[in-house]
Amino acid sequence: MDFTLSPEQLLIKDSVARFAAGDHAGTEKWPQFAELGWLAIGAPDDLGGFGGPIETLLLMEQFGRGLVTSPYVAQVVLAGQILRAADRTELLERLVEGTERFAVAYEEPQARYDPAAVKTSAVRDGDAYVLRGTKVRVLDASTANTLIVSARTGDEISLFAVPADAPSATRENYASEDGYDVANVRLDGVRVDAAQLIGPVGGGLALLERALDHATAALCAEGLGLMSLMLEATVEYTKQRRQFGVPIGSFQALQHRMAEMFIEVELARSVAYMAAMTLEEQAGDPVARRRGVSAAKVQMAKSGRFVGQNAIQLHGGIGMSEEYKVGHYFKRMTMVERLLGDAQYHVARYIASRGAAVTAAPDRDPVGASGSRAS
Amino acid sequence: MDLAFSPEDRAFRDEVRDFIATHLPADIRRKIQAGDHLAKDDYARWQRILFERGWVASGWPKEYGGTGWGPIQRHIFYEEIAFGWAPRLLPFGLHMVAPVIIEFGNDAQRARYLPTIANGEEFWCQGYSEPGAGSDLASLATRAERQGENYLINGTKTWITAAQWADWIFVLARTDPNAKKQEGISFILVDMKTPGVTVRPIETIDGGKEINEVHLENVVVPVENLVGKENEGWTCAKFLLEHERTGTAGIAGCRQQLETLHELIARESIDDPRLEERIAQVEIELEALAFTELRTLAAESAGKRPGPESSILKIKGTEIQQALSELALDALGPYAESHLAPKYFNFRKTSIYAGSNEIQKNIIAKRILKL
Repeated sequence: MDFTLSPEQLLIKDSVARFAAGDHAGTEKWPQFAELGWLAIGAPDDLGGFGGPIETLLLMEQFGRGLVTSPYVAQVVLAGQILRAADRTELLERLVEGTERFAVAYEEPQARYDPAAVKTSAVRDGDAYVLRGTKVRVLDASTANTLIVSARTGDEISLFAVPADAPSATRENYASEDGYDVANVRLDGVRVDAAQLIGPVGGGLALLERALDHATAALCAEGLGLMSLMLEATVEYTKQRRQFGVPIGSFQALQHRMAEMFIEVELARSVAYMAAMTLEEQAGDPVARRRGVSAAKVQMAKSGRFVGQNAIQLHGGIGMSEEYKVGHYFKRMTMVERLLGDAQYHVARYIASRGAAVTAAPDRDPVGASGSRAS
Repeated sequence: MDLAFSPEDRAFRDEVRDFIATHLPADIRRKIQAGDHLAKDDYARWQRILFERGWVASGWPKEYGGTGWGPIQRHIFYEEIAFGWAPRLLPFGLHMVAPVIIEFGNDAQRARYLPTIANGEEFWCQGYSEPGAGSDLASLATRAERQGENYLINGTKTWITAAQWADWIFVLARTDPNAKKQEGISFILVDMKTPGVTVRPIETIDGGKEINEVHLENVVVPVENLVGKENEGWTCAKFLLEHERTGTAGIAGCRQQLETLHELIARESIDDPRLEERIAQVEIELEALAFTELRTLAAESAGKRPGPESSILKIKGTEIQQALSELALDALGPYAESHLAPKYFNFRKTSIYAGSNEIQKNIIAKRILKL
């Protein structure tokens, strides 16, 4: 049992940390990411890819610590993992090179978070499909060349690659609280060839779910980074800030609060690693994958909310100012907590994937620890 | 980065699991499963069985009969004990006074006490807390006055688990009333049969009498029973605190609590999605804590000394234990099943003992966050 990072992993962590500590606000990051090889994380070796969920975790944690605003999760992890699992090597190659960018449009107005709740239809018309429906909260669509859209083909769900500038695909961007690019997309009879199918007809949900789990794990890592920075900033601040003749960090009430925040960060660290390791070690077991990733998101949401709220509280008035950084971390944490499924959604998903039998003696190794003893 | 146990560790786990399944007396297993209190003889029997297998002194150096297990093996062993519904042996002899005698005692003491601690012939209890000294243990007032070849001990110790079964008590007593708090304390072994030692049970809110007050009135103790140097007893006490951390979080026990809870719900056909959700939340936190424990273990295995991170395990572990006892009561409601309410009442102790959770937070704040 070994939690140490390999030299290659340490290299990734350090190079991302350096980037994140620099001045990256508002810059066009994609060419840089392509050059640094970060678009290739999680892609297959033969496309110049390397690493997997752990490397993604290392990158996202540093992005969280540095509050790096980028389409990485939506365009590399979510879209990339769909293309990888669907074996669309030519598209994945362009993603890795940075020459084509992909966003994923799956959510619909009638159901929060649920990838199976799809009314958008893809009706067969000769060799083509005609797409009709509405997608909401599409992440990072405005910098994408291609949208991966989920739609109903009969009773099942299929995925289609739709050019972002397709006529009859209307995008409406809106501002988000954390500076991210979010849009609603209306499809009014968008025509796509059968060649634009991603994965088999009717096989879209499994591809989407798997990729969503990868992206959720990435968000857990980002949350970890956000939280650990907020804790550090809070501890540092309370050591400096003096009132009543002493640093406020000497007051026991605040010390205890920070001790509690520390515990939450450690739990969040554990679940971020747990999620990544579940993805790596139980890639062939969708139920275990769902259970591990959903458990991680639930914990991360709880820990993140606690740390975020208390970080602001312990900073007092300046925690509320737009000028000071903690508020910005808190806002991103608030969004991350709910992106791709909030705690409520993931608790239900965890319960459903846990089945009737429950946590007892691990018959398998620790990552499978939530398995049933009876099995 | 690799979460898997090594093949050797997995083989060890299978060996322990097998042994417990075949050697744990059925009546003891039933008591643990039912949540009933164990009798002294239950502990003695099980200890004898483990002793004969050579598995009793997990934290002792090999030269004194220790098992030679590393942190991962110890962890596996205690997990299997919980999963197999076996009792955890009382720690006072095996895991508290013995390591101190080994580290700070002399050969005569090691020869006299270690064998009967190991085979369970003699039971021990811990004489630390006093009515006026709980979290502030160093303010203890029990006095040990040197008189020729003896100490004369006077004072009251309290909250002592299993004093009613104990043959011996290890006592922190003040040998120099003029020294600064910690610097006048000595670690002394007292035979419970010595005239002047009186045990009074304390009934707790769960109806049990697992703890006691021990009064020491003019108790004459030979100077040979001093462990280590006079006035250096606090060093022994600190050593003890840092020494045996395995199982601090009580994770395996919590898993058993969870299993029992789920069985209860199934048996009573309780269909309550909101309760299920609350249970799932606690289960998830438990897995997060279990993973945190593994991270700590891996670091210890790689040579890192156990440190203040154990405070995380203690705080969260006890919170989860309490939450599970609460959920069990919520599942069935009041007056429903005989042991659920007492268990909930009894578990209020977990956030208080072994260093209250507030003290643990002080430790995290001072030693980890450096506030």
